[in-house]
Amino acid sequence: MDWWFWPVFLFVFTLLIGIISPVSGVGGGVLYVPLATVLTPFNVDFIRGAGLIMAVVSALSSVPYLLRKGLANIRLFAVIAPIMVITSVLGGIVGLWVSNALPNGKYYVKLLLGIIILLVFLIMITSKRVEFPEVRDEDVDPWSRKLGIVGEWYEPSLDRIVQYKIKNLPVGMIMFGVIGFIAGMFGLGAGWANVPLLNLVMGAPIKVATATSMLIITANAPAIGIYLAKGAVLPVVVVPSILGITIGARIGAKIAEIIRPAFVRWLVIGVLFLAGVLNIIKGLEGLGYIPHII
Amino acid sequence: MEERKISVDPMALAFAKVMTVFTIIGIAVMVAPSIPYFMGYNQYISLQMASKYWNESTVNFWKHVKGITVHGYDWIFTNLEYTDCQSMIGVLLLMITPLLSMIAAIPKADQKAFKLLLLLAAIEFAVSMIVKGIL
Repeated sequence: MDWWFWPVFLFVFTLLIGIISPVSGVGGGVLYVPLATVLTPFNVDFIRGAGLIMAVVSALSSVPYLLRKGLANIRLFAVIAPIMVITSVLGGIVGLWVSNALPNGKYYVKLLLGIIILLVFLIMITSKRVEFPEVRDEDVDPWSRKLGIVGEWYEPSLDRIVQYKIKNLPVGMIMFGVIGFIAGMFGLGAGWANVPLLNLVMGAPIKVATATSMLIITANAPAIGIYLAKGAVLPVVVVPSILGITIGARIGAKIAEIIRPAFVRWLVIGVLFLAGVLNIIKGLEGLGYIPHII
Repeated sequence: MEERKISVDPMALAFAKVMTVFTIIGIAVMVAPSIPYFMGYNQYISLQMASKYWNESTVNFWKHVKGITVHGYDWIFTNLEYTDCQSMIGVLLLMITPLLSMIAAIPKADQKAFKLLLLLAAIEFAVSMIVKGIL
């Protein structure tokens, strides 16, 4: 197949992901990396590099608006960023070391990626979202209280300003460290983990959790340096992917207003399950644990 | 009317302003040189050559395509006459955009703790990028 087919394929593929993301609430990176690993000839290193850049660019594009609306909480970001910057870089280093230094390393990465994706699948089908979690004054931990991590935004559906508080900050900080490592290692955006953690564990309203998650994803940006410094960023992969997801997300935001989100969400969750299983099978095939079946 | 009464953190406003500007610049700098690159002009890595080895690990890819081992950002900065390396400058700009946004937010912080936390995150961010460039 001629070389030009693959950038065109990536553009169309990421355009579709971009359209689906705002409709389903599933981040682009988490679909892109496992599917592109299975569907394209690019080595998993190049796919992870592009996946991470896609996740960061999507976040950079939406965060300024969310900050101005009061939805993304910069105080929470300031506490979490010093942890996530370090762990996402460590994750990137470990991911590239595994695929380059170990014999059959890329198959170990595919196997681990499949397992992580199935974990994401489980989180998505089991976690319940709480629109406005109740955080009583006595629930607020001393760190959040001392730092004054509170916020407010205007909620059109209620036609009033909603104020909120945060709880369990120390536990959240540890969990964000782990999430940063996984995000850096596999080139995934971490919205799938950030949102339930902020919403269910730390008591942020769902809109604040989603917006602050986007802000936190920008702290994964230094992990791009790992991929750049190892030559794992190629314009032929990155440019069509970024253009596709950027244009697709704009189309998707308009479609989201007219389509039934629940149906698309379940469709995406099904695709995610399939991608996880395919990566595990490819990893096990490459390592010789099972015969060649796909 | 009520929307106007929301008090937005001054740190957030400074952060948002810088992020908006540098994201636009970063995407433009990444995409513009890629157009001549895809048309075959002035390529550091020819697309025909790349397509033969892009299924290999990064180490093997560079060994086959350029006969080198890539460490750090030198491969970008020493080949800026080529369109694909120019495109990578856009990626670098996008990478440092959160760092610039954090730096812009520091003077607007109302508590010393937030000044220190943002400064710490910015230093970690910068150090990790520099270390990667040296290794």
